[in-house]
Amino acid sequence: MSPTSNKSSPVPKSVRLRAYDVGFGDSFLLSFEYDKALDDGRDQRHVFIDFGSTRWPKPNPPTYRAIADDVATQTEGQLDAIVVTHRHKDHIGGYGDKRAAATIAGLKPRLVIRSWTEDPRLAADAKGPRNVGSASRRFAASLREGQIFATDVHRALKGERGIRGSLAAFAAHQVPNQRAIDALDAMAEKASLGARYLYAGQKSGIEEAIPGIGVKVLGPPTPEQWPEVTGERDDDPEFWIHRRGLLKHMLSETAKGDPVEGRGIAGRGEKIPPGPARWLVERMRSQQAHSLMRIVETLEDAMNNTSVILLFEVGSRRLLFPGDAQIENWSYVLKSKQAGKLGAELPEVDLYKVGHHGSRNATPRSLVKMWEERKEKLTSVASTLPGVHPGKSEATAVPRVTLMAALSKLGKLERTDELPAGSLYLELKGSTATRTGYSVQHG
Amino acid sequence: MSPADTPPPPEPVKQLTELRVVAQDPSVQAKGEVLTEKIRVPTEHLDPGPRGARFYVLDYDSATGRLQPPATIAPNGKDRFARTPANNLLRSPAFRAQNVYAIAASTLATAEAALGRRLAWGFEGHQLYLVPHAIPEANAFYAPEDGAIYFGYVPDGKKQIQTALSHDVIAHETTHAILDGLRPRFAVPGLPDQPAFHEALADCVALLSVFSLEAVVANLLGEDKDGKLPPAQLTEKALGETALFTLAEQLGVESTRGSGLRRSIELKPSRAWRRMREFEEPHRRGEVFVAAVMQTMLKMWAERLVAITAPSGADRSRVVEEGSTAAAHLLQMLFRGIDYMPPVELEFEDVLDAVLTADEVVAPDDRHGYRTALADRFKAFGITRPEDRIVDITRGPEPDYGRMNFAILRSDRDEVERFLWENAEVLKIDRTWQTRVQFVRPSVRFGPDGLFVSEVVTDYVQRVQLEAREAKKMGVAVPKGVKPTTALELWGGGVVVFDQFGRAKLHQRKPLSDWKRQSRRLAYLARHSLSDTRGRLGFTLSTPRGQRFAALHVDNTRAAEDW
Repeated sequence: MSPTSNKSSPVPKSVRLRAYDVGFGDSFLLSFEYDKALDDGRDQRHVFIDFGSTRWPKPNPPTYRAIADDVATQTEGQLDAIVVTHRHKDHIGGYGDKRAAATIAGLKPRLVIRSWTEDPRLAADAKGPRNVGSASRRFAASLREGQIFATDVHRALKGERGIRGSLAAFAAHQVPNQRAIDALDAMAEKASLGARYLYAGQKSGIEEAIPGIGVKVLGPPTPEQWPEVTGERDDDPEFWIHRRGLLKHMLSETAKGDPVEGRGIAGRGEKIPPGPARWLVERMRSQQAHSLMRIVETLEDAMNNTSVILLFEVGSRRLLFPGDAQIENWSYVLKSKQAGKLGAELPEVDLYKVGHHGSRNATPRSLVKMWEERKEKLTSVASTLPGVHPGKSEATAVPRVTLMAALSKLGKLERTDELPAGSLYLELKGSTATRTGYSVQHG
Repeated sequence: MSPADTPPPPEPVKQLTELRVVAQDPSVQAKGEVLTEKIRVPTEHLDPGPRGARFYVLDYDSATGRLQPPATIAPNGKDRFARTPANNLLRSPAFRAQNVYAIAASTLATAEAALGRRLAWGFEGHQLYLVPHAIPEANAFYAPEDGAIYFGYVPDGKKQIQTALSHDVIAHETTHAILDGLRPRFAVPGLPDQPAFHEALADCVALLSVFSLEAVVANLLGEDKDGKLPPAQLTEKALGETALFTLAEQLGVESTRGSGLRRSIELKPSRAWRRMREFEEPHRRGEVFVAAVMQTMLKMWAERLVAITAPSGADRSRVVEEGSTAAAHLLQMLFRGIDYMPPVELEFEDVLDAVLTADEVVAPDDRHGYRTALADRFKAFGITRPEDRIVDITRGPEPDYGRMNFAILRSDRDEVERFLWENAEVLKIDRTWQTRVQFVRPSVRFGPDGLFVSEVVTDYVQRVQLEAREAKKMGVAVPKGVKPTTALELWGGGVVVFDQFGRAKLHQRKPLSDWKRQSRRLAYLARHSLSDTRGRLGFTLSTPRGQRFAALHVDNTRAAEDW
């Protein structure tokens, strides 16, 4: 269990994870502390992993700006790397806040890491890196179209209530977040170690910024590496283009009002006369909203599956940050032959950032099984807020009760939603020489 | 009156109308043409739609707001699409209306013939809406709240998919609606076999009804030589590897459930699934049932072929005929069994028991060994017939009919309730629990030997709501993590079958106070956190049933890994 970096590098003596209480979202500052100052006079290195929220905790919610200010204080003005696991608002929303983004930009991040799907070269249809071929470009184009679809849904339904309101909120989660992306692009341009758009098996570049550690990129696979990652239906831009064409009608059909103002009988504009046909057409309005919800869910899953999965190796510690990766992303490293020994260190993980805020599809059982089969305890950190994820059923609730119970059995499960009201963060700290738990505090 | 003045004799009442349908789905073609088949459905008065006594086809597209004009099909009893070139059919909204109507009506007719009566829907009203172009999704689902089946489509110009043109999708969804009418309580959170059976029966009916079309079977068989198929191609194994596998592959092209069907065909007989968590997911679990049924089908088919196979082989047309006969027979057996299944707390063992018992009643002589074949295949998957769940009442102490009115007993819920109350000891029904008779249904059936069987099938349920700590005192094992104050709903029930004289003859029992079963159910519900929004276990799942059916058909590839 040795880090993959240069062995002559000094190994950090301790590791510290600050999980900001962003409600339903992720924002982590991962810090490495050294015995003595490194070449640049600093004795710490910092990686800022995700920065977003879709619903803040109540009462006394923190703000993006307060978090950015705290990151500035903790890092003493220098960030070594920014990791944006994927493009969802609950992971990048903070960069859409002008002042918060400026604060983070002022910390001069040396490296900006994003998923391969964010690579600007894809949009230009230029020849991409190895493992990024035509299937990957089609998938990335599909995601872009899907996000435009989600923007249209959100714009049309913003401020509504009931199922349409839930749909609007869910669609808002999928929109492109362009302002945040622009801020990240600007930081990437100035980053001294540049920007990296990662897929499974690549070098992260973090080792160059942070000596004495190793980082493995376990996901996401590109469709060339692992076709299953695209799901069955959402890898075709045409899928979204056709739905956008229908969207105006779909939304008007789900709206309240005259039940017979559709295009009428065979498009002739005739009204549907009173009777059983009109009754069913009325009923189908709510089906339409549910149908739209399922369509947006396919985009949600596809976006989550673009999450960068990072495994940090520092001394005896193994820390796992999977973003919101779903089973289709995970299955590459867990099941495919092509991944080889990429996931060899997974059974050794001692700190797990719970995937997708504890949803049912983001922590594969086979991963948990690896940890169940050992004596050592696991520390899990869940950044979550119950009652946000759409769907009233317990089976789709986030966090999922059965998963939380399983993780609790493996060791300590720290949850941001259990912090005292008004807390800014939850902090875990541990020596890299041992693997015995972490000290925990909040502030 | 001269002979010329004699009025012509009245035309015989036409019982069946022949209608053309897509045999499988548009991807399955023969000689460049979509494979179609004529099927016969009960003749009825049809308004434009078509709209008959049991179905109402309403071609409303909720995405575009467009309502197609109601289609007139079979004017004067003649199929208007009989001679239309097959590939032109696909563009016609009137044909897709005919397609959904004919296949749904045929599926219902098969179920009604097997059960020997008209079957009511599980919702208010006599017409099930069929909406052939309802939603822009590669999905189709039965929505009991609306009394409708919504068929989706993929609005992509190049590879448009219309689920309303897929025989198996239509048969599958219609089966959900039929079963919901017969067993509405299967929607109660129960043992894992219960939702699995809903899916499995729908898949079995879909596969077997497609399989019972001769054009389909002919298309599935490999190459022949001068119209003869060699013996090597006619073994159970070979038929599985060609016909059945090809069918599952073909259904996978356009059906949203392709991979599941494929997996169930490939499932090797084993009991291991019982220990595997992924088989607690309804789809995956249902695959076990489908596998056992389809393997039975293969055995039935192969054995029917023995008599017609010479050393040089067998006539292709006869092989086809025997395949479709075997499929149709098994389909009938499955439907027939539903009446003998418990109204709640269903387990696969009950299904096997019910199918075998119902078949024994109608066809006492298992001449072709179908029942043995079915029992053997299920046994290979670890599902065996329970010994004491269906009790032959005629062999035990005689129930007391002294205060009963036989005529009323055959039709009245309250009279049946009185019968159960008066005979609770004989029937071993615990009077502690509230008992409610749900249905009293007459059934008239003919067996293969022409044997006439008339029965009245009644079912009852019992339920109690209590806290986990109270259940524990009664003997229910309460899993760790379930709070003592958690509200629980426990269910029990059974089926009592009366003969043509109004005498009780069979009793299928799932007593509420079977604490072992209740413990298993509670453990399953708790393990999967299948509670309602108030954290109660065993009441509901908090989502409309229609949305649950819709979600069921979306994706099931995560079963082994999700929580």
